[in-house]
Amino acid sequence: MTEFYVFVSGPLAWIAWGFFIIGSIYRLVSMYALAKAKDGSSLAYMSLPYSLRSILNWLIPFNTMGWKSDPLMTVATFLFHIGFLLVAVFLGAHAVLWDTAFGISIPSLPGGFGDAVSFVVIAACAVFAYRRLALPHVKGVTRPKDWFSLILVALPFVTGVLAYHQVGPVLLMTTLHVLAGELLLALIPFTRLSHALFALLTRSYMGSEFGAVRHAKDW
Amino acid sequence: MHRKNIVKLAASMLTILALVAFYMVPVAMSQDDMTQVPADAFGTLERPRVAFAHDAHNEKAGIEECVVCHHGKTEDGKMDKENSSEGDPCSSCHAVKPTDGATPLMRAYHRQCITCHEAKGAGPVACGQCHAK
Repeated sequence: MTEFYVFVSGPLAWIAWGFFIIGSIYRLVSMYALAKAKDGSSLAYMSLPYSLRSILNWLIPFNTMGWKSDPLMTVATFLFHIGFLLVAVFLGAHAVLWDTAFGISIPSLPGGFGDAVSFVVIAACAVFAYRRLALPHVKGVTRPKDWFSLILVALPFVTGVLAYHQVGPVLLMTTLHVLAGELLLALIPFTRLSHALFALLTRSYMGSEFGAVRHAKDW
Repeated sequence: MHRKNIVKLAASMLTILALVAFYMVPVAMSQDDMTQVPADAFGTLERPRVAFAHDAHNEKAGIEECVVCHHGKTEDGKMDKENSSEGDPCSSCHAVKPTDGATPLMRAYHRQCITCHEAKGAGPVACGQCHAK
């Protein structure tokens, strides 16, 4: 079991990063080629100022009509995304990994706070699941791949909380946690989670469309 | 009893006492009383203290040379695996927040334990195995 953990936390981590980086480049390049082939003129209308205006305004909760019209989603998604990034990089145990493996000292979340943020992220995932089950306009567009992505992103947090609180066999739970994180990282480019790569670009596209083309009073 | 015999008896008893005391020196000098990794230098702790029975660990791991863990420091400040430093606490060289470019105490502890356990495929390697609640 120790050998398996050593493999999972060593070579397999690099393989997961390889999938993520090479997969991301592949998806971005092939998406650019597709946009050029199918909607070439739109590329000429891309505007940096309108793109940034749109991105900045959508980064502020309840600032846009989209956010205002769906308060539950707005709260859940902001808490989820901020919590996700905070925990992934700055959780105390993750900072120790940066320190031990690479000799990099970074600031880290206090133990209790990191734990609380993890629970908030899991709660946000529950909100996402509730929407897909209960709200007709979300249920209607939900496909199995949406559930797959939601499970993929929730698993590292569920196993992480269990490992932190030492529920179940510690080494097994920690191994499962690392595996879940690696699976998530490796599959980001190839699942619905690829919005992490494309979100800023789709926002830029719409910001440019509304601002530079339609001159609409909208971001 | 003859006076000579009394002196002889006293001398042999003293010899035995001296020998017993002499043989107890290693026991007294050993780390048998060490049950935890020293962590007071850190101040407030984020995680539970780490259990570490020095002598039981070394017996189980078959470690006989002190220098395996208690490495020294070369003149240019690098790790010296030839000359040991047993007797000095780790924190005497590894400050919690070093200003001289030394390895910080927490990093030194984590690397010391985990690197060896991973290489040997034995002993705790995951966070909660050492920092058990």
